[in-house]
Amino acid sequence: MLRITDLVVRYGAATAVDGVSLEIADGEMVALVGPNGAGKSSLVNAVSGLVKPAAGRIEIDGRSAQVPEGRQMFPDLSVDDNLRMGAWRLSRNARDTARIYELLPELVPLRRRRAGLLSGGQQQMVSIGRALMARPELLLVDELSLGLAPLVTEKLVAHLRRINQESGTTILLIEQEVALAFEICARAYVLEAGRVVASGDTATLAGDKALAAIYFGDLSTGAEEDER
Amino acid sequence: MTYTVLNRTIRDRGFAAWWRRWSPAPQIALVGLIAAVIPLLLTEQSLYMKILLAAIVVTGLGLFMGYAGQAALGQGAFVATGALTVAVFSAQWGLPSWLGLVAAPVISGLCAALIGWPLLRLRGHYLAFGTLAVLLLVQLAMQSIPLFGAGQGVVAEPLIDRPDGIRARAWNPILNLVYVYLAVAVLIIVLIMAHRVIASRYGRGIRALAGSESAAASSGVPILGSKLKVFVIAAVFAGAAGGITALWYPYVNQEAFPIADSFGYVIMAVVGGMTSLWGGVVGAAIIVLLLELLNRIATLPGVPEVLAHTMQYAGYGLVLVLVLLFMPKGLMPALAAATQRRRGRGSGHGSGP
Amino acid sequence: MSAFLTYLLSGLSVGASFALIGAGFVVVHRVTHVVNFTQGTFAVLAGWVTASLITNGTPHGLGELIGVIAAGAVGLGVGAVTLARRGTPPFVALLMTLGLSFLGVAVVIALFGDHPAPSVPLVSGIADFLGVRIEWQRLLIIGVALVAFVVIALFFERTDLGRAMTAAASNPRAARLVGISIRRMGLASFTIGGLLGGIAGVLLAPMQQLSAYSDLGLAFSGFAAAVFGGLVSPWLTLLGGLVLGVAGSMLQGYEIGSFQNQLSLVLMVIVMIVRAKALGRQEEAK
Repeated sequence: MLRITDLVVRYGAATAVDGVSLEIADGEMVALVGPNGAGKSSLVNAVSGLVKPAAGRIEIDGRSAQVPEGRQMFPDLSVDDNLRMGAWRLSRNARDTARIYELLPELVPLRRRRAGLLSGGQQQMVSIGRALMARPELLLVDELSLGLAPLVTEKLVAHLRRINQESGTTILLIEQEVALAFEICARAYVLEAGRVVASGDTATLAGDKALAAIYFGDLSTGAEEDER
Repeated sequence: MTYTVLNRTIRDRGFAAWWRRWSPAPQIALVGLIAAVIPLLLTEQSLYMKILLAAIVVTGLGLFMGYAGQAALGQGAFVATGALTVAVFSAQWGLPSWLGLVAAPVISGLCAALIGWPLLRLRGHYLAFGTLAVLLLVQLAMQSIPLFGAGQGVVAEPLIDRPDGIRARAWNPILNLVYVYLAVAVLIIVLIMAHRVIASRYGRGIRALAGSESAAASSGVPILGSKLKVFVIAAVFAGAAGGITALWYPYVNQEAFPIADSFGYVIMAVVGGMTSLWGGVVGAAIIVLLLELLNRIATLPGVPEVLAHTMQYAGYGLVLVLVLLFMPKGLMPALAAATQRRRGRGSGHGSGP
Repeated sequence: MSAFLTYLLSGLSVGASFALIGAGFVVVHRVTHVVNFTQGTFAVLAGWVTASLITNGTPHGLGELIGVIAAGAVGLGVGAVTLARRGTPPFVALLMTLGLSFLGVAVVIALFGDHPAPSVPLVSGIADFLGVRIEWQRLLIIGVALVAFVVIALFFERTDLGRAMTAAASNPRAARLVGISIRRMGLASFTIGGLLGGIAGVLLAPMQQLSAYSDLGLAFSGFAAAVFGGLVSPWLTLLGGLVLGVAGSMLQGYEIGSFQNQLSLVLMVIVMIVRAKALGRQEEAK
């Protein structure tokens, strides 16, 4: 579904992504974790075509759509209009939003509301819906949980899982909340300073004490999570 | 040589540093010398005078536009106030013209302070149109208020009365030369003042304004006050030029300060370079000479009269658009950048993160 | 009383055309943050093209249509030049449109001369009711302007292109994500600005002496109307334009003088200063 080979992304003199290779198969849910500034967003923006890579290859089997960091609403447009804009690349007839309301029924009462006035969780849902309007084969979710309460995040995660299972949409989840990411995804890549420093299935990664100490804090007990 | 703007240390290298290291005093002196010699070589001073007067105005305007990052489309208003001061002093109140000359920049500065206080709260295009409104209002005043001629215009008395015994035909060229040297002197003073503003810590502060007002505010630059200061300085320069204008073209009425001229000043500032000391001089020279050239072409035999107007507008328009597209910082900074690149040094950007 | 009504209607008519030009300013500014000095040029050009075609035999209706489309095309061209470089600050873009407006004057003079366009009203004759005598053309301007404003509102609220233009203005990053080309939206806004200015010019030319040099006065008044709406609200622009037109008409009708330009600018400056804080916040957010 997605194959990235030796990707390099630069912003002026700074190198954000320094030779990253990764592969995601159809229908997988894979996590991309790492500290702030590791290059995760740059990588995802390169996949979305927002940024031109300096080197390397990106091969996608179909369309991708991004649920961007910070929700990025069109604040003056209604929820329904935001959704319609998601299908901008498709023909006018393909911009029917009914599908999305079936998938995300919580949006129905919010149809006509101005997106700028919604809560963070509601906006995140609109953002997901907007990305889905493009009928992507690959969904890139950048920092889903940022600024959201855990209960809200849980609901969104449930939606993502359902979308992945029912439509087979491949999902790449970029997350700073490592525990959350490992809970959702079976496989993960760990990025630091623009390079992949670890990858594999999440159970193994979580259990790797050395890795955990450097990057993840204490995952083994899960006590941290309950306290939040 | 390093200096700090918004906490970034900027190291000057290459041509720019050399240029800056030498205080412009020798350069200004040299240019002043050349400027003083030129009139002696010319048979007819009017074109040269046009350049001098425009250069004085635009040096100030460039300061305002380049350093405060604000457009001023009606600078002619302050030229007009300066001219009116001299004309009214001598024609309406019987005071000596030299007194008017001294008062002209002062009064223009005062007007700018009064108008600027509410007006400079506006940003960007709002300010641009606001200054244009001021110009229109000054024109209206000249058209309707008797003191200002109520449309008939006011004629200033000459600076020095013709001594008895000398015929007008012999006297006028001498008087004109006096005016030209007056303009040269004012230009030199203006350049020195402008340099002091640019090079001072205050000048660097207002340069920061051009980047972002909130950033400048957070580094301690008082916004309205700084903008007002530059605005007043520009008006003072314009007023001085206006005072000389009243002596040179003795007839002062609303048609002497058309909108097209004010737009012309803006074009000169853009072409010459708003962040360079010499931008005003260079821009004024280029545009005045260009217009003169177009005028000569348009008045050649066989060229329809309508074309004359077309050429002026077309010239203005093309120059402005082309310069903005390809040399948006103006001629002087573009030249400076080009010579720096040729020397192979860095462009002096921050060495820090 | 009938004099008052006449001046009122006449002022509404002129004001409606200001509002159309102002709407052009608003559309362009909303999407690109540029104040487009050539809005007045569009009106003059369209007015002259139409007048010239009709006096040479083109039927009414078609002549007006071509004039408006020509203005739209010129708008597209202005947009292409102004938006040519990415990252041009709005202050520079304004100067660029100023330069282009000079070129516009030169082109109009070269094509048509520098005298006012001949008057060929779409509807001729004088309406006579309630003691008011006013040309039908003036009433037409009011009607067309109202229709135009409704169309603009519908365009931005109900069509995908309109929504995309609003989206591009409010969140360029998300717009790019979704595949909206910011540049194309900008060009579209300039084209619409051209069309609106063109409509104003085509309707106004028979009533007012539109010459190559009229563009600046029209731009002032249109901008003043747009300022009433903070450069974002079409309906407030309409209101502003109407107020300006009526005020100027009253001044002229009651023989106080012909001060439309000055009046527009003074009222505009007052509005701007009063709203300075709010307007400043909008600017800084860009």
